Amino acid sequence: MTSLLRRFDFWTVVTGAILAVLVLLLLFPIVRVLMLSFVDADTLDWTLGNYVELFTRNYYLKGLKNTLFVGVLGTLGACLLGIPLAFFTARFHLWGRAWISTLAILVLVAPPFIGAYAWIMMLGSNGFITNFFEGVGIDIPTVYGAHGIILVFTLKFFPFVFLMTQTALMAVNKSFEDAAENLGCTPWQRFVKITLPLVFPAISTGAIICFVLSIADFGTPAILGRGFRTLSTIAFAAYRSELGGLPTMAVTVSMVMIVISMLALLAQRRILSKRRYASSLTNLPVKVKLTGWRNAAVHIFCHGVVLIAMSPTLVVVYTSFLKTKGPVFVGGFGLESYGRILRTAPEAITNSFVFATAAVVLITMFSALISYVIVRRETAASGTIDFLMMVPYLIPGVVMAIGFVTTFRSGFMSGTSAVWLLIMLYFIRRLPYGVRSTTSSLRQIKPSLEEAAINLGAPPLRAFLKVTIPLILPGLIVGSLMGFITAINELSGTLILYDSGTITMPVSIYLAVLDGEFGLAAALSTVLLLCTGLCVYLVFRFTENRDSAFL
Amino acid sequence: MASVEIAGLRKLYGDVVALSDINISIPSGSFFTLLGPSGCGKTTLLRTIAGFHNQNAGRISVDGHSIEGLPAHRRDVGMVFQDYAIFPHISVRENVAFGLKQRKISASEITKRVNDVLDVVQLGAFADRMPHELSGGQQQRVGLARAIVIRPKVLLMDEPLSNLDARLRVDLRAELRRIQRDLGITTVYVTHDQEEALAMSDTVCVMYEGVIQQAASPLDIYLRPVNKFVATFVGANNFLAINRSGSQLVLLSGGAKVLGSCVDATDIVCAIRPETILAKPGSVAPVGDEIAIPATLSNVSFVGREMEVIAVTDQGETLKSLARPDPEIIGLSQNSSVTLCVNRSDLAFFEAGDAGGCIG
Repeated sequence: MTSLLRRFDFWTVVTGAILAVLVLLLLFPIVRVLMLSFVDADTLDWTLGNYVELFTRNYYLKGLKNTLFVGVLGTLGACLLGIPLAFFTARFHLWGRAWISTLAILVLVAPPFIGAYAWIMMLGSNGFITNFFEGVGIDIPTVYGAHGIILVFTLKFFPFVFLMTQTALMAVNKSFEDAAENLGCTPWQRFVKITLPLVFPAISTGAIICFVLSIADFGTPAILGRGFRTLSTIAFAAYRSELGGLPTMAVTVSMVMIVISMLALLAQRRILSKRRYASSLTNLPVKVKLTGWRNAAVHIFCHGVVLIAMSPTLVVVYTSFLKTKGPVFVGGFGLESYGRILRTAPEAITNSFVFATAAVVLITMFSALISYVIVRRETAASGTIDFLMMVPYLIPGVVMAIGFVTTFRSGFMSGTSAVWLLIMLYFIRRLPYGVRSTTSSLRQIKPSLEEAAINLGAPPLRAFLKVTIPLILPGLIVGSLMGFITAINELSGTLILYDSGTITMPVSIYLAVLDGEFGLAAALSTVLLLCTGLCVYLVFRFTENRDSAFL
Repeated sequence: MASVEIAGLRKLYGDVVALSDINISIPSGSFFTLLGPSGCGKTTLLRTIAGFHNQNAGRISVDGHSIEGLPAHRRDVGMVFQDYAIFPHISVRENVAFGLKQRKISASEITKRVNDVLDVVQLGAFADRMPHELSGGQQQRVGLARAIVIRPKVLLMDEPLSNLDARLRVDLRAELRRIQRDLGITTVYVTHDQEEALAMSDTVCVMYEGVIQQAASPLDIYLRPVNKFVATFVGANNFLAINRSGSQLVLLSGGAKVLGSCVDATDIVCAIRPETILAKPGSVAPVGDEIAIPATLSNVSFVGREMEVIAVTDQGETLKSLARPDPEIIGLSQNSSVTLCVNRSDLAFFEAGDAGGCIG
């Protein structure tokens, strides 16, 4: 009896419940996608035919090549902007450093597809920059195609490299660099031979995030592609065309996307495993004051990068206040676009808030419990949960949503409504944000505090609620806000799952952009940006280290 | 107040034996100290009593009732933590009242008991402060108050003084002992500080590698260690090699005959406490029941209350002596010859090896 009681203590039950939820919402759909990719759509037999088709037909091979091409070059671009920016802000006295990192964070959290269509408004065939150059007789290339996608990826994802590298640079023991200089290195040699290798782990982590996000990104190639297809747009199109039948080609393409992300992550882990630099912070780096043209150049570069990266957002907000008549801008300012979203898309706004809020309530509850299990319970089950928390990062939204459809819209669960599917999708995809923030908060709390509460007579659940929760509250709030930002901006998965009654703001914006309704899209985007900005402000209020809260 | 009986307790971490066949009997109201180097299992034993670990075998009884299977929050044992574990988000008063609230005690009773206990630990004036406004010593007083206010059957303390500075440690240990005596509360105390253990305890229990080496009064532990580990760990000791010459055992250094010939253990060492060795200048013959070991002076440090003499015997063994400062010895130059004199009754003998048993 007593041993039975012991086996079923509170946290064991919680661990079991968490595992059950993760298996149902995360593993089931992924396994389902994996299995379907080996099924013949017509005969329902097991087959390798889908993969054979994928690796032989030019349509898919080109998509694979395109995906890797824009992924690699986008990541490279992000590094080329992010690393110098990090070095300049970490090592030189810079006017407006806080401003630069705030802008970088805003770029990071802004809805991903806004960049793509704002660039159309600037550099599209009818963009104002294109028109301006046309006016003076210069033909500049438009933003459509691979180079446009790479441009958007570069400007959208460089903050990951920037913020991670900056954090690492500020923690490099200055003695290493002093020693290098003392041994005869010039400043440039010192940077290349000592500093850069020391912060390489951080750079590679930032770069791998860029790469995985580039591979998974749907909105940018969908809006800017114009015939340039990547795996995510191919998977989406395949899903659409296979509607009614089994989406076997869509899931096969999805599997390839997952494998690419996983290989990238494994490669990075392998490289990193040999490079662990424990650093004691005895001698913190100092900032140098630059003078003359160097100072001016560094300032122009840093502020220029973040301003250009911010420009899509500014364009969107500006456009939303332009006077429109239907889809046409008629000159001057006006609030017609906002009037139109209230008339045509009020349910998109309410849906977005309701779904994201519901998902975040779940995220908050589960984050608190999961982080406790991960940090405090060293069992095989808690290790498994910790590992599973990485999986959603690697699964593109399109893939997760197809997994949801094939799992929950078939068999005995076929009645699951779109509302619940969307909430569950946001929950499982954004759960890691909440868990990561809460986990790092909990690691700062000594376990003896909970033991003291238990020793004084509080049962485990009460000790958790009265002692642990109040102490991890800041981390929990930050994690939940991050979950909210990313949930309310979700596009790719929603596009697959939504129906007439469950349209959301990102979907409305996407459809409006495809219809050329830029005013309407801009107004909706501004609403989305506003609530994202509000969340960022709240995160700043609740966190000590503003820069790393968003990574 | 309650007696504690631990019988046949065993705890494994995977294949590692953390506690092996622990048998302890703690009389009601006594102060029982677990002493040992880090990793010896003393904290594991304490946490097993508290219910934070489950034993693999054995039984723990409080007042004759087994507490096996009782979850930690229902064991009614107070605990004081090494890192204080004062809840940082609530005031001193609420910290102390925490356990009382769990026990659904009336508000007026809680107020009274909290005020009383805060007076006992001399923190009456700090009741409404937040923990971060208190010093380390004050926080640990709160920890003690919080643990004793629930009137637990047993009080457990896990190195409660180790995070405090030296002066405060000595002050607070006297105070801890006074409060414990006044309340008559059965206490299990964990420390790696032998001075603390000897100064505070009714019984000191020396542990090593998950095994109890000796549980006895502080005086017995120091004067009559049952094995070489206890002799080494508690207090300083010199160990000298012994040779067998025919049927006779003789010290390698100095060649004095020791023990009877009846001892059949093969490998034996002789332990001499530094404070029993007196260094004399030059070559001196043994007087009465003394033995004399000729040696060369290696170093003398005068530290005020006493002097520490390090000397190397002709056979190359190094001995340390602690004695009242002697100007004659302090004045000697390095490598002067000295004689180390010890009374035979101050010699102890152990089988060689980490935990060799006491002989004779």
